[in-house]
Amino acid sequence: MQSFQQDCVELALEKYRRGEVSRRTLLAGLAALGVGSGLASREAAAQERQLVMVNWGGIANQAFGRFYGDPFASANPGVRVVQDSTGPSAGRIRSMVESGRVTWDLCDSSATSSYLLGGMNLLTPINYDIVKRDDVIGPTFALEHGAAPYSFSNVLVYDTHKFPNGGPQSWADFWDLRRFPGTRLLRRDAAGALDAAQMALGKDPRNLYPLDIRASLAKVREIRRNCVFWTSGSESEQFIRTGEAVMGQIWHTRAKVLEQESNGRFKHVWNQGILQPGIFVMPRGNPGGELAQRLLASMLGNPEAQVGLLQFLGNGPTNPRAAALVPAEFRRFNPTDPENARVQVAQDGRWWGQNYAQANADYIDMVTG
Amino acid sequence: MAAAAQRQTGWWLLILPAFLLMTAFYVAPILQVLAISFTEPQPGLQNYERLFTSESVQRVIGTTLRICLITTALALLLGYALAYRIALAEERVRRWWILAVLVPLWISVLVRAFAWVTLLRRQGLVNQALLETGVIAEPLQLVWNEFGIVVGMVHYMVPYAVLPMLASMREIDPRLLAAARGLGASRFTVFARVFLPLSAPGLIAAGVLVFIFSLGFYITPAILGGGKTLMVAEWIGLQILDLIRWGLGTMMATVLVVAILTTLAIFSRAVDLRRLFGSGA
Repeated sequence: MQSFQQDCVELALEKYRRGEVSRRTLLAGLAALGVGSGLASREAAAQERQLVMVNWGGIANQAFGRFYGDPFASANPGVRVVQDSTGPSAGRIRSMVESGRVTWDLCDSSATSSYLLGGMNLLTPINYDIVKRDDVIGPTFALEHGAAPYSFSNVLVYDTHKFPNGGPQSWADFWDLRRFPGTRLLRRDAAGALDAAQMALGKDPRNLYPLDIRASLAKVREIRRNCVFWTSGSESEQFIRTGEAVMGQIWHTRAKVLEQESNGRFKHVWNQGILQPGIFVMPRGNPGGELAQRLLASMLGNPEAQVGLLQFLGNGPTNPRAAALVPAEFRRFNPTDPENARVQVAQDGRWWGQNYAQANADYIDMVTG
Repeated sequence: MAAAAQRQTGWWLLILPAFLLMTAFYVAPILQVLAISFTEPQPGLQNYERLFTSESVQRVIGTTLRICLITTALALLLGYALAYRIALAEERVRRWWILAVLVPLWISVLVRAFAWVTLLRRQGLVNQALLETGVIAEPLQLVWNEFGIVVGMVHYMVPYAVLPMLASMREIDPRLLAAARGLGASRFTVFARVFLPLSAPGLIAAGVLVFIFSLGFYITPAILGGGKTLMVAEWIGLQILDLIRWGLGTMMATVLVVAILTTLAIFSRAVDLRRLFGSGA
């Protein structure tokens, strides 16, 4: 979110541009705000075209700037890509579009939100004349109202110290409290949890969708008393690290951190992982217009940068040429490496988009009931 | 007479700018948001109908009321004992007591919630200590449930319970207690028949304050509940931000505002509300 100080700086610059204050006054004012230097670049930036990319904070802010923003800016002189870490939730995008004052160009959203918001006519459709469908590994990564420059997966992670004779390898094992006793960790979100429950019910992972919502909810209800639920990535990491849960379904990026810091004590399995696209969406009426489509196209079409992001943050590349570029030691942690992708399930964003609102409300009712 | 009235108007004019500012930037937007509850998804009362038909809406309200009532009761009990001790302490000691009550008030709610996690989790201080002394064989479930939430909330609320009660206890004339003793009453009788009734207004004021404050709790239940307990504030956030069911979210927000105003209205008959907001009697 923009800080009050940032707003002061913007206000001062606006006044200067309109000639309401002299350069000397401006400099004095900026110095008082502690941002005196860098004025020249800001002034120059005002002449440039600017795109605003919105992420969820943390090191994503830095990483997206480096691997998405910078390559595009250096290929297109006069364009600047700035990062905003407000967290573009569906509700925030909706209120921004409906207020008619759209300041965001490209938002790190999700397949579900892209269907939800797209259905409400709040998003700009992807122009597939500019963005190339061939730049992604599968159809779930290029949707009508969003496309995915990265992928992630909900994987099963477990504490090897608790299971010296071999840990759980599938969602059926996850549900087996007798063979693998202990507290489970699930996300307080139907998407991911119900997919796993459906697999635990024995449905063929290659033919998983549509999910039987009622049966999957009942399956989660079975183990509800033995579960804790996470709502943020860092929280999921903490639950496993501190032994609050012996196994869990968490994002592969967090599983990687746990596995590396514990020297393999916390292991994750790709088998039946739920592979999802990291969908970026454009709010309807985004200020950058078509330029944002070109930025998105560059994000999808740049395998080197995607591999860089994998090494830096852990997000899996989605460009078909990327997997071969991944250094050997990172392949184990790449969700879209052919070896790993083969055993996972590609989540059906369309099905979830149509069913998310109701299924998630029912899921949360069940979890908190 | 006329001059007095004129002076009165003058005072009102002085607060007029603040009043207008509040109306324009606080009251109006809130009303606008609350209005959504009647217009979305279709105009009508269907969102409010959910109060009577939806089990999940009723459950969220039920959970919230239960946790708030338990929190209020415990905070009043602990707070009363503290306030009693402080009110009867010597001036020098009293200052230290008050400091001890106020210090937690200045620590961020987030920090305090995480501190409780560190204390109460499976490998936390409490469980480790009990395990090592052999009191228990298996770690106790002290957090990720309503117990953990209540612990965190009571800890947050005790200072808010102490302050109004302390103010009212300090107004009690100590000579009354001495007189009661002199007339042959036992210590308990003095407390039950003299001190307790005289401190009742502070008790009620503290109860109202703590209860209203608890209704809107967001962070503490979100962190200490392990995702399994949903109170109204978090539920509203979920509807607005993730599920984009604004009609339902704003309906609950309206209910929350009405519940708070109703509580205030009822208790304003019983107790001087100015005491709640820090004005001396």
